[in-house]
Amino acid sequence: MQITGLLHGSRLLKHVDFPCSEVLGPGASEDEIQAFLDKHGLVFVKPIFKGAIGKKGKAGLVGMVRDLKSALAEKERLYFAEHKHGNVTAKANGVTFEAGVPAEHEVYFSITDDSQFRAPTMTLTHRGGVDIEELGKDEIVTVPFDALTGLKAFVVANALTDIGAPKEIISPLVQQLPKLWELMHHYGMTTLELNPIRMRPGKNGRLMPVACDFKCGFDRDDPRVARLGLPDQLFASDISPFEQEVNQLRTHQGQSDVFVINEKGTILAPTFGGGANSLVTEVLGDAAIISSDFGGNPPYEKMKSVASICYKHFLAQTNVLFIIGGKSNNTDILETLRGMGDALREHFATRGPVPLYVVVGRGGPNLVRGFGNLADTLDSLGLPYRFFGFDSAISEVVNYAKDVDLWMRDGGREEIARHLGISAAA
Amino acid sequence: MNKQRIQGFPYYLGINALSDMATREDRVCVLNIMGGESRQVTPTSHAFSGGNVVFGTAPGKAGSVLKTPAGDIPVYNNVREGLDAGHDFNVGVVYLPPSGVRDGVAELIRVNSGLEKIVIITEKIAVHDAREIRAMAQANNIDIVGGNCLGVADSWNRVRIGGALGGDHPDESLLKGSVSIFSNSGGFTTTIAQYLATEGWGTTTLISSGKDVYIHYAARDFAHALKNDDRTKAAVLYVEPGGYYEHDIDFGKPTVACVVGRWKSKLTRAVGHAGAMAGTGDKAEDKENWFIEAFGTEGVYTPDNPVVSKKGAVVNNISDIPAALTAVMELNGETPDFPSTGSLALKPWMANDRGLNLPEELALKPVKPSAPYDEQVEALKEHIGAMVARQTMKDKSGASVMDPKSQVTSVHGHSVLDLALEPLEANFALPLVHEIANENGRALLDVAVAAEVNLVGDPILVAADAAREAGNAPNAVMATAAAIVGPNRLERALNCTDMLIELFAHSGLQDGSDEDFDTSGITLDEQSRALFLAGPEDKDDPRPEAMLKAVAARGGKSVFLKFLGGLDARLNRDAILAAIALTISWGPLMRKRITKLTAHTLPWYLRLYGVMVGATIPGTHHQSGSLCGIPREERFSEWTMADLCYLAMTGKKPTPEESLPLQILVGLLISNGPGSISAQGAKGAVAADGPQTPDRVQINKAMLGFLSHCGYSHGGNGFEGMAFLLQEFEGKGLTDPTDPNHGIDLKQMARDFAKDYKRAKAEAKELGSEVRALPGVHHPIFKGKPVNHDPRERFIAGFMKERGDYNIFHAFYRELVQALYDTGASRYVFCVNVDAVIAALLLSLLWKDYQSGALKKHDLENAAFTVFLYGRMIGSAAEIDDHLNRGRNMDTRTPASACGHVV
Repeated sequence: MQITGLLHGSRLLKHVDFPCSEVLGPGASEDEIQAFLDKHGLVFVKPIFKGAIGKKGKAGLVGMVRDLKSALAEKERLYFAEHKHGNVTAKANGVTFEAGVPAEHEVYFSITDDSQFRAPTMTLTHRGGVDIEELGKDEIVTVPFDALTGLKAFVVANALTDIGAPKEIISPLVQQLPKLWELMHHYGMTTLELNPIRMRPGKNGRLMPVACDFKCGFDRDDPRVARLGLPDQLFASDISPFEQEVNQLRTHQGQSDVFVINEKGTILAPTFGGGANSLVTEVLGDAAIISSDFGGNPPYEKMKSVASICYKHFLAQTNVLFIIGGKSNNTDILETLRGMGDALREHFATRGPVPLYVVVGRGGPNLVRGFGNLADTLDSLGLPYRFFGFDSAISEVVNYAKDVDLWMRDGGREEIARHLGISAAA
Repeated sequence: MNKQRIQGFPYYLGINALSDMATREDRVCVLNIMGGESRQVTPTSHAFSGGNVVFGTAPGKAGSVLKTPAGDIPVYNNVREGLDAGHDFNVGVVYLPPSGVRDGVAELIRVNSGLEKIVIITEKIAVHDAREIRAMAQANNIDIVGGNCLGVADSWNRVRIGGALGGDHPDESLLKGSVSIFSNSGGFTTTIAQYLATEGWGTTTLISSGKDVYIHYAARDFAHALKNDDRTKAAVLYVEPGGYYEHDIDFGKPTVACVVGRWKSKLTRAVGHAGAMAGTGDKAEDKENWFIEAFGTEGVYTPDNPVVSKKGAVVNNISDIPAALTAVMELNGETPDFPSTGSLALKPWMANDRGLNLPEELALKPVKPSAPYDEQVEALKEHIGAMVARQTMKDKSGASVMDPKSQVTSVHGHSVLDLALEPLEANFALPLVHEIANENGRALLDVAVAAEVNLVGDPILVAADAAREAGNAPNAVMATAAAIVGPNRLERALNCTDMLIELFAHSGLQDGSDEDFDTSGITLDEQSRALFLAGPEDKDDPRPEAMLKAVAARGGKSVFLKFLGGLDARLNRDAILAAIALTISWGPLMRKRITKLTAHTLPWYLRLYGVMVGATIPGTHHQSGSLCGIPREERFSEWTMADLCYLAMTGKKPTPEESLPLQILVGLLISNGPGSISAQGAKGAVAADGPQTPDRVQINKAMLGFLSHCGYSHGGNGFEGMAFLLQEFEGKGLTDPTDPNHGIDLKQMARDFAKDYKRAKAEAKELGSEVRALPGVHHPIFKGKPVNHDPRERFIAGFMKERGDYNIFHAFYRELVQALYDTGASRYVFCVNVDAVIAALLLSLLWKDYQSGALKKHDLENAAFTVFLYGRMIGSAAEIDDHLNRGRNMDTRTPASACGHVV
């Protein structure tokens, strides 16, 4: 859940009255763009990506224009631009026109929770507008501050003094930057970055910080985000329809965190526990359809609902239904296996049987009763299975599931389909 | 603040040694102690720790207690009340929902000046709140563990605080030893302890740190306490990407670090552990390198490349932790704490490969688990038959489902169209054994039902005749008979079934017809033996011998009959009925297709089938030793269910050509899904008896439910189509409806009717009245296309065509729908619906008798209703059995809020 760019960023900054460069959205008419150019002279054309896509400037994805013809040419070039950053490839949908702010000073500012300090931490430099990793240690300051008192003016003033910031920028920044803590802390953000903030001279020559780019991340577990009234579709690209459906069931009591690893995978692995999630997803690799954590002692009804959604989206292509976790501490194995078994039975009843092999690796309360219940269900559905207790190494159980998947790909699926009297096709 | 902070840390840290993390002296207050998770976990923690929880809070629940094996824990509205009541505590445990955690921490800190530690179990705490919690704790010198963790435990002190480390049996995993565990994963904290034990390593202190963005008690804090703990010789860390918590730490003692989550760099958002998202320089690979540098090893330890140093080892797989630790400790001259407790090799506990051709390395044989799980698995094997969870079954069925598109209903996976092509006796077993009976099963079923049909001398017959003479419809006559087949009449048969199930349950018998099965090891005591034998009351009953003779004549095989035959004494007929029923149900029972309850009740259904069919035959035809003049021996040994049904309707035995249409008719009528009125009646009757106490459910009364929910509109309306056909073919000189050379111009007949119909329709429109609906034509689902078909009618038509069978009435219907369109009486070609097929088949079957005067119009109407009852009797049995097995007491009720009031 991230937002980049000023199209939405400027709206957020208005919540705390932080000055921001003017921006026109993708729907701006030629007349509006012309008027915008007339007013500001210099205009930046930037593609709109959903989520966090860094280093657009370096990738040549920011256009700098001074006339309408160039503005429209850049709009055409950037409107559906593609940008690969790390593992993520994003496709733009639209551009913004952002007013250039003439300034001598560019400031980098961010707040995030730093694990080295275990506190909210401000990073600040008056040499902004560049990659901060490229700066010398004496040019940039990273200061933790008290979350209860917040980012106070003196914290900013001390920091700027420490890095020898030009004195004309200190006062305006000390006045304006603490507002950003209000925005970050009270609206459910985990990180907020403005780079650059340009120091625009105003009347009397006094400098005014103006945000010229915006980036923030939201905490999906914080209801304060809703205060901003952001449209859901802003974050829609983050998640597939499947994830969206499952995440509706996301509560603290019984997690339902999922991430689609490979839409063409053949092992459907409902996984229990954050640790198991890490290990299982790592060992399964691309054979896995989803990475999930359904731990946290989900009640029967919730487990059944989550499993139903998983089956609805992915069972047809699944070779191995792989229910896996460590030795649970308080997740009731009977309730979870019963929920998943009943959902499977209903899926078969409403959508017809699927040739599956079921592998389970689990430990925890009511383990054998859970195994017994699931075995009954699978027996009645005519499906083959193998259940491992907690005394088998979890990684070996994962490897076993992978081996069964290979056997399924190599004719096993057809064999099971024949037993069930159905087609093997996914 | 008066608490001593540890020097050398830029922040507050109070726990100086691991032995201080969870001590016997710690006194605990649990916030939201009555919450779902705490209610499960706290009693075990309290008992394991010798009663360390002094009180808990739950707003509004003051005065209540949480019961635990170590005594009740008092509950107060808030912390202050608990303190005022004289309880002191130094540790707070937070089980509040995420939005309440910050306030709970504030309450603990503000209200209790003696507070030292807080353990936060809750997950999905907003980062905003975590920030403030950290700040509050730092300002007030409190150590916090968590959030999103499972707390801490100490195997030496036998204490666990907060969550459920060690699960519901902490003694299994918290084995005293020399290794401390610090884990980002709560589940893996216990799992790692379990794994370590396989190499003989026990534990000191176990810490589930959680893996949120804020880890309040982190690896650096742990390293400090590790160095100061004399009990601990080594540490195991389980670490995931994200955060610099493990960067540049000197652990001071041998340490195995397990770093998992390389793949997480592919993620764009967290799954499970909110803090396990790497930023810059804190990916899994980075963390591996931190530890490799700290330990001075040459890479990551794997079984193939076991690189370790005296300082430690890095692994990527928790299964490698025990071996890596042993290797590290060997370099330090240390040996395990106790002998190995087993291995981590693959050990399936349960498996079923269903006869698939699996490669050897996959077809691992199940092994016996360790105690106490071995006994539990064995106990499971004791259980026979399927287990079905109960749920509200209002308007739901696990037995039947109607496809709303094709309107075709399936019963236990078999569509009624397919069932229509199966022998009737095969269908009679289906609802109860969920499989179509094989030839042996069918033979036995014919005998069992035939033995119940002749009701001579039984008060049932008097009652049924009285009901008939009173002018009741066939369903009410059947109901009268069924009402008398109550529990007492089945007691002995059901007891016999139970006894046989008990005797054979764990004998290894898989197939009830396997007469070669060795029963020599199965013995009966005198009392049990008496159950199966004929007593003085059976003296005049000729049926036991007749049934056994009939089974032999039909070549029927039954291991149970053979076993009872070995008793060398005269059997009673209930014993034979039970043995026959169990022969049919044994395979499905062993394959867990059906429950033990279903197998137990099967004789009741078989007796009801016989009595209900028998009751449709007027009393005068029931004679001692014969029915409608058919001798007992012939009926028992040769007659099928279809023959009996035909006999009941016409008083004579059908030819094969006559029995097939009847079989199709009954098959088609078996079920229309759980929404049909008859099914609702049956289900309601079960719900009213209370399926959760299945022994009290009267199956005969449930049949009454179905029967009372049929009538002239539902079931009896089958005659309308016949009446229409009778009217149209009146005086046409038809002799054989199955002869295609009948010499009647059906096209002309249809055209004439269509013209008349169109005219009548126009007149009715003028008058503002409605023209009568044509029975057998049109359907609310199959309409609107230029030419429409009811797929059920097409299926039967196709089957008949394949056989070369002809039915003039069906042919007329086909002409009629076309003529209606051609003359403009309909906007498109209506479908011929399934009711038309039923009317056509039945009228064809009875035509000759009707023409000869042997059957009157009233008899035809009765026959139409009766054939519906035969079919629906099977479908209702399926619903009754399903509701009995799955339903809850009175679950068919409609809540008042969903009911309407009409004035």
